[in-house]
Amino acid sequence: MKRVFLLAGKDFKRKWKNPVVLIGFLLIPLVFTFLFGLIFSSSEETTLPAIKVLSMDNDGSLLSRFYLSALTQGELKDMINLESASSEEKAPSLLNKGKASALIIIPSGFGKKIWEGSPAELTLIKNPSEQFLPQIAEEICDTTALVFSALFQIFSDEIESIRKLSEQPDISDQVISELSVMVKNRMEGIEKYVLPPLISIKQVTRNEDQETEESSFSVHSYILPAISIMFLLFICNVVFEDLLREKEKGTLLRMSVSPLRMNEFIWSKILTSAAIGILCSLFLVGLGSVLFSIDWGRLDMLFPIIFCLNILISGFIAFLYTFIRTERQAGALMSSVIIITALLGGSMVPISNFPAFVQKLARFTVNYWGLEAFKKNIMGEPASQIWLIVLGMLGTGITLSVISSFLLKNKLKKGLYR
Amino acid sequence: MLQISHLSKSFDKVKAVDDISLEVKEGEIFGFLGPNGAGKTTTISMIAGLLTPDSGTIMIDSMDTRHSMQQIRGIMGVVPQDMAFYEELTARENLRFWGRLQGLSGKELEQRIRYYLDKIGLTGREDEPLKKYSGGMKRRINLIIGLLHRPKLLLLDEPTIGIDVQTKMNILDLIREASGKGTTVIYTTHNLSEAEELCDRIAIIDKGKILASGSLKELIQIVGEKDIALIQGEFSADQARQVVSHEKGIDIITMKDGYLAISLDASKKIPGLMESFFNMGVSMDDISLKQPNLESVFLKLTGRELRE
Repeated sequence: MKRVFLLAGKDFKRKWKNPVVLIGFLLIPLVFTFLFGLIFSSSEETTLPAIKVLSMDNDGSLLSRFYLSALTQGELKDMINLESASSEEKAPSLLNKGKASALIIIPSGFGKKIWEGSPAELTLIKNPSEQFLPQIAEEICDTTALVFSALFQIFSDEIESIRKLSEQPDISDQVISELSVMVKNRMEGIEKYVLPPLISIKQVTRNEDQETEESSFSVHSYILPAISIMFLLFICNVVFEDLLREKEKGTLLRMSVSPLRMNEFIWSKILTSAAIGILCSLFLVGLGSVLFSIDWGRLDMLFPIIFCLNILISGFIAFLYTFIRTERQAGALMSSVIIITALLGGSMVPISNFPAFVQKLARFTVNYWGLEAFKKNIMGEPASQIWLIVLGMLGTGITLSVISSFLLKNKLKKGLYR
Repeated sequence: MLQISHLSKSFDKVKAVDDISLEVKEGEIFGFLGPNGAGKTTTISMIAGLLTPDSGTIMIDSMDTRHSMQQIRGIMGVVPQDMAFYEELTARENLRFWGRLQGLSGKELEQRIRYYLDKIGLTGREDEPLKKYSGGMKRRINLIIGLLHRPKLLLLDEPTIGIDVQTKMNILDLIREASGKGTTVIYTTHNLSEAEELCDRIAIIDKGKILASGSLKELIQIVGEKDIALIQGEFSADQARQVVSHEKGIDIITMKDGYLAISLDASKKIPGLMESFFNMGVSMDDISLKQPNLESVFLKLTGRELRE
């Protein structure tokens, strides 16, 4: 064991004297987190702009005008900027020029069909060059049409009376009074069903104080651990590259004719890699708190997570090295494997974006389990759940390390002689 | 100190070491002399426990390498051909690391580091990283890493490749000093003069076999007092045989078209040989005469010069 620490100390010293690669691997997660944070975090600049919608009213009836005016009432007037298109021919070209996100066309006979209670259709043309705004415009038009239909069904009798009234040249006060009483009675009848509403939406505007109080999962607290785990794999790989470099350089040969055992040499690399990984993790966690105000959750759980994650990473990288023979192979294969596992494990894209079978594959990656542990701790989930993951990582890491040390021992002994 | 008995090792179908037996006494400097691919490094690798012999035994300090390699490693030092150290660390850091790995520590280790740095003339530069050292300085550090723990058996695999004369002399002095303090040295080289200068005994090895071994004096006796003549020209092997057969006291070492190596008891026979060649209408390119030395022994034993 003394010799394992002697070798690990030597490796630490070597990395300390040549820290460029490690510093690079430490800075990249912080830079990524900062940049992604800029993209995804909410700010004034990211408030949704008013959606410009063109309208083409070919009906010109009371109801068509009523429908169009409904699109710009209340809060919708901040969301929809409705403009009347001068002609049906010019409207599509305005869409193509990006002058509007959608065009709504009301066909002639629209009002008549509604008065008669038969289905009526509206046409909505979306701007194909835009992604989100036409979609929102479509949702708003859909919802308004649905509300419009519901109102006509509820007040069908009253509407029929109004329609008949509208056909008469003179309307007496008595008729209007009777109609008002009719509407009042209908309103009272449906009042218990619609007022107060059973479901309401509470609009909450988040501010920084609330964010820290609630300790919720911010964009930074997802991105930094996710990217950091990927770069911890790269950092660990840098340490393990020495396995092959020492063989190439002849220092391993010199060690193997000393009292040092090959197992001690391999375990020294595993130890160095885990220790450097732990230090780097602590550095990233510290800077994450300072720079991005990340609340990492319970501190008493944070260290076990970091410790066991790095044991797992070291074991995983050691295991990969049992398949690699030369430095060139390591250079070509390791980066690819790390990037693929990072992609599958959620370090680059949330795994919920993948199909179900890919999400199952994520469970075989280091990144997934590390990220799960960090996420659960940040979200304040019970310690028992986190311990399950932590112990799983520890057990797997140790198992992989033991298997790797056995396989690597024989592999490194071969070919020492040139 | 070292007994090797019927040692053999093959790689695929190639016999790298073929039934070698030898014995080296304590404090002796024993040289393995042979061209590249002769089997020197394979033999040394088996002694160091890096390769397992196909057959035969190696005893070091009365311990069998098959059973006691871990103890043997504690009394052995190796200086490989390559610069086997960490260039980003300083000389002192390297020596401390390798010394500790061999079980040295504390004052004893620091004293030895100072002693050897002084011996190789690097005092004052011990805190510079080795990557800033010249090739010769690195060679010297490479050597003293192997000497630091004062091993009982020191294996040196061509430690003077590519260095200047001054560094070479420095290295040879250190090896002699170690030997004087009781370290047994196994030294592989293909440099004849170095082997002549340094080694108490030499084994000439070629194609995995030891062709002869002994002190320089004993080896020279193999060729006797005869000189060796190397003749090159535009002649066939048949013509050369014809010429030599007319002269008495000449032994053929190697004979092929355009090249003749012979041992002869008197150099005055050379003009006669040349005349015979001229009479056959053969033109001569080069004639050289060698006094009995390690080179002529090697030539006599292998039929070729070491540089071939």
